[in-house]
Amino acid sequence: MAEPLSPLGHAFITGDHGNSAGGVGIAITERKNLSIVQVTAWRETVPAILTAISNVTGLSVPDKPGAGRSAGEKSVFGFAPGRYFVVAQASDLEDRLRKAIPLETGTIIDLTHGRMAIRVKGPWSEWVLSKLFAIDFSEHAFPVGFGRATLHHDIHTNIQRIDEETFDLYVFRTFARSFWQTLGHAAAEVGYHVQ
Amino acid sequence: MTASRLPKGGRVDRAKTVRFTFDGKAYSGHPGDVLASALLANGITLFGRSFKYHRPRGVFAAGSDEPNALVTVLSGSVREPNVRATELEIYDGLVTASQNRFPSLEHDFMAVNQLAGPIFSAGFYYKTFMGPAIGPLRSTKVWMFFEKFIRRAAGLGKAGVTADPDHYERMNAFCDVLVVGTGPAGLLAAEAAAETGAQVIIAEERPIAGGSLLASVELIDGRNAAVWAREKAAALAALPNVRFLTRTSVWGYYDGNVLTAIEHVSDFKPNRTKGQARQRYWIIRTGKTILATGAFERPIVFPGNDCPGVMLADAVRRYAVEYGVATGNNVTLFTNNDSAYEAARALSQAGVNIVAIVDVRADVSGACIEIASSAGAELVLGHAVTGTHAGKTLSSITVQHFNAQTGHVSGTPREIKTDCLGVSGGWSPAIHLASQAGGKPEWDEDLQAFLPPEPNQNWVTAGSAAGYMDTVSVFSDGATKGSSSKAKPKLPSVDAPMFDASPAAVFQIEPAAKSQKAFVDFQHDVTADDIRLAYREGFHSVEHLKRYTTLGMATDQGKTSNIPGLAIMADARGITIPEAGTTRFRPPFTPVSFGAIAGERYGDLRPHRLTPMHDWHLANSAKTYEAGLWHRPMIYGSHGETVEQAYVREARAVRQSVGIVDVSTLGKIDIQGPDAGIFLDRVYTNMFSTLPVGKARYGLMLREDGIVYDDGTTWRLSETQFLMTTTTANAGNVMQHLEFYLDCIWPDLRVHLTSVTDVWAGTAVSGPKARAVLEACVTGTSVDNTTLPFMGIVYGSIGDVPVMICRLSFSGELAYEVYCGAGFGTQVWEALLEAGKPYDIMPYGLEALGTLRIEKGHVTGAEIDGRTTAHDLHLDWMLSKKKPYIGSAMKDRDGLADENRLSLVGLISLDNQSINGGSHIVSDATPREPADSFGHVTAACYSPALGKYIALALVKHGTSMIGNRAYATDLLRGKHGAVEIVSHHMFDPEGSRMHG
Amino acid sequence: MIIKCPYCGPRDVIEFTYQGDATRQRPDPASSDQAAWSAYVYDRANPMGSHREFWLHSGGCRQHLIITRDMATHVISSVGFARDAVASVKGGEHP
Repeated sequence: MAEPLSPLGHAFITGDHGNSAGGVGIAITERKNLSIVQVTAWRETVPAILTAISNVTGLSVPDKPGAGRSAGEKSVFGFAPGRYFVVAQASDLEDRLRKAIPLETGTIIDLTHGRMAIRVKGPWSEWVLSKLFAIDFSEHAFPVGFGRATLHHDIHTNIQRIDEETFDLYVFRTFARSFWQTLGHAAAEVGYHVQ
Repeated sequence: MTASRLPKGGRVDRAKTVRFTFDGKAYSGHPGDVLASALLANGITLFGRSFKYHRPRGVFAAGSDEPNALVTVLSGSVREPNVRATELEIYDGLVTASQNRFPSLEHDFMAVNQLAGPIFSAGFYYKTFMGPAIGPLRSTKVWMFFEKFIRRAAGLGKAGVTADPDHYERMNAFCDVLVVGTGPAGLLAAEAAAETGAQVIIAEERPIAGGSLLASVELIDGRNAAVWAREKAAALAALPNVRFLTRTSVWGYYDGNVLTAIEHVSDFKPNRTKGQARQRYWIIRTGKTILATGAFERPIVFPGNDCPGVMLADAVRRYAVEYGVATGNNVTLFTNNDSAYEAARALSQAGVNIVAIVDVRADVSGACIEIASSAGAELVLGHAVTGTHAGKTLSSITVQHFNAQTGHVSGTPREIKTDCLGVSGGWSPAIHLASQAGGKPEWDEDLQAFLPPEPNQNWVTAGSAAGYMDTVSVFSDGATKGSSSKAKPKLPSVDAPMFDASPAAVFQIEPAAKSQKAFVDFQHDVTADDIRLAYREGFHSVEHLKRYTTLGMATDQGKTSNIPGLAIMADARGITIPEAGTTRFRPPFTPVSFGAIAGERYGDLRPHRLTPMHDWHLANSAKTYEAGLWHRPMIYGSHGETVEQAYVREARAVRQSVGIVDVSTLGKIDIQGPDAGIFLDRVYTNMFSTLPVGKARYGLMLREDGIVYDDGTTWRLSETQFLMTTTTANAGNVMQHLEFYLDCIWPDLRVHLTSVTDVWAGTAVSGPKARAVLEACVTGTSVDNTTLPFMGIVYGSIGDVPVMICRLSFSGELAYEVYCGAGFGTQVWEALLEAGKPYDIMPYGLEALGTLRIEKGHVTGAEIDGRTTAHDLHLDWMLSKKKPYIGSAMKDRDGLADENRLSLVGLISLDNQSINGGSHIVSDATPREPADSFGHVTAACYSPALGKYIALALVKHGTSMIGNRAYATDLLRGKHGAVEIVSHHMFDPEGSRMHG
Repeated sequence: MIIKCPYCGPRDVIEFTYQGDATRQRPDPASSDQAAWSAYVYDRANPMGSHREFWLHSGGCRQHLIITRDMATHVISSVGFARDAVASVKGGEHP
């Protein structure tokens, strides 16, 4: 199977960047080999779709705005009424979800190629992301596992909090290189590592 | 004025030296100095020339209210003008220059403007240079001629012209309580708020906390006030729920408790660490705001009040106490209130010699008399300053008897030798942010000042911003406002005697015979006479006064001039100050650099949107241009080829053999659900519920008003799933349009929408050999005419990449759109090129794409311009009569059926010259102005298929004009040529090529 | 300005797109009453004071909201999903 090409091209440079002499404030990674599938429930089928997602992924997510969960490379989070991202390192993820979710329960669309997944990890992740997004990243406002849909200027982004200092960003692919460079600018102050 | 460093005192670190330059001369100061204090310590008292009259000006204040001492900071080729010397922290290598002088600060040619003083009065420029209302010299032409000379003569610092190499950034913050200011009120309010567990942000515009305590001689809890403040601030900053920002000026107050601030991150340092921003633009969303912004001392207006050496009394005190700088050898104070005595006490403790205290009041308290006597200052009661004597700087003042009740000046003038006069006209709460937030400020008779308005959002003012002027009540107010409990807070002890904060209601000294100008707004050179002139000329309202005289419109936003200006206008009108009213303050409170507002955005400030094949295009000599945010290949140029030669070569290759073009930018929307077909029937003018699975159809959308909105093909992937394509430019709008109807008009429809523009890479393969190319590389499906007829869809693979192929044509040739996952876009693109090698396959750009569609008369955004109907574009055949759809009711309105409407035609150049896009269609054989236009060119090109220059145009009575000769005229670019009006189907009108 | 999205919570106004007057009623789609359509498309009251408006949370959950906002003070007194409000007003009958 052909390898999908990263949208970053020459903008992807591994190593330490910015003010990194005294250590780096965050690490930035492009997450690869993921399936990113969007699942959307009808108004009355949210509980049914959450059950289906749980059956497929083993991740059970409560029915409340933005709720989500992650374990290893698997994650699920809501970012709009009845709408969820289901992410896993499994090429059959879409098929399995399609089997579990008939049209009466909801719709499925594979967005794997349409998004770039970026992991931002480190003690300065909240600080750096706060430069780019007008949402409150503090843990009491944005708990672990939860998801958000927001934007940096014209760049729509879905964000999930993985742990205290780790966030997964899902950025529209065609904006990914521009966003990656902006993220680097924002992170230069605290030093960052690209791996 | 003879300024110098005192032998001791101040917070400057005398053990260390900082070197900097001012107007090319080297000076030294100490860490802790601002430029103003360091220059004063070096004996420099002349800081700049005034805006209009080029009068010599010295430092007037000691903070953000400074009107005079503005300098330009130079750093390499970068210049930042209008920086306040009173706030600019010095660092090693700082280079500064004075402003608004030529050739030098000492000798300024424009100072002749002073001699012409009477004619440069309010509204002078407009009256003189706008020209007469009629005749050849009328109006704006005259103004435009004089404007550039006037702008050179009158102005503040010059802006830089080179790109700013510095890095700026934005920071989004959220908190429960924002405390603005860290004087005694702010510190206690923040402490009380933090104790409740709230998330607190504290913003202080100066480098250190303390506010008025920094220049206080009071003992707080038995300790030096500044030390007490420093310790309190450090304790607060250490709390986990507190973020303490210094050098951060809150400058804007917006709806929903959103405030903006500018943090000086590193512009006070000689060097920046890697990636460090110069300034950071904070946007703070807070639950509650505590405005502990303090108060500004204001001057008294008197003749000759603008010479270097006349300052605010509080500034004289702050230079002495905070920086250990005496602003004069023999200081005089002039006041209408008790705070000047507090200043005298501090000055005397700091070792500054006070000659006299001139007070407009006939009686003062025993405490005041005691202070004057222990400072060795002569107390001149019931007097006012009526004039100054100065060369470049103050040498003496004239005082006369003054009646504070009547404002009457009398008696023989008496001269007092003094080189620095500190003036206090009372204190005005800094209500700027509160005023921005909304509401009408309230006049307070006691303070003779405006108090903050009633809050209309969740904010409070605390301390002197709320009108409490002594430290004890400021502490109490701060602690109360910061706390949510009713319990009486425990307050620090203050040793100082209480002063009466209320001033005598004296704003201007106006002797009968005056020879000197009395300035109100120093920065814009507005005098008391200008205000009275504005009154006489009918500009009575404060809003008119402001605009006519420019009072309060400079970079200091009238911090020192507001109340005196209002008082003089009220006096002229014979009404009270609250009756005259005040203008609403607007952001920014202090000047903000454009760099900070642009923040992390740089270059053209926009993100770049790249297709999956972008790098291939660049590596293969594509010249790109920006279409919205997208970067798209315009042509793939060969060496020495013009753009026209390149697109003609590319378009010809498509007609003769085969070409490929990147169409990944087309908007793509996934539409799923049991009601998807019904939904599409309602939004498109034609039917989609009847479209078979595995087929595509060209669709047209109207707006509700009957005008054409967008077009594109929509593919039925299954009974309940469609893939809609939209024009590139309109993708986002169409998505919103569809979402609106689903959410707000037909919420009962079970349909889900998702933008999948970024999911798919799209390549169009066009030309007579297109099928042969696909046959050579596509596996898993046949692409013959039976399996893949016109508008059919098949699934297969190219290499091991799954592809979806739809046979549709924009070029008019046999053509296919090959879609694959975006990550595979480049592989598929290259595989198609490889398969096309035997046919000399050629990649083509937007110019050739445009050429092919113009030849065919296919419409795009140039024709779907928000004004055209389906009928105008000859798309009536797409309007279903079997069903209602968006726009179906209004498309038949009279105006849209008018036979005089413009409609789409083709044009062929008759003189073998190119036709400019945007040209007007006229009947005159020679260019004429004005011309009677009856249409315009929407798109033009050279057609390799026809061997002619052609165009599409919207022309009145379009269809019936076919066969006529007309002229395409472009007066702006000097082009005029004969054209024949033809059908918009200029090439292969039967469409036999794409069906082949 | 901050809008409290019922799903996403309080967000900056930059995340939202104004989508027009929410008090207008779309005529029956089959109707050819030009006066009714003209009123729907063009006539706006522009009151000083409270007003109902459609806003799309375009930079967030992409739901249309109905917001009651004071046009003079910008104070928002209520926010809800447009789908719920429209469905309840029309009682299931949708033109």
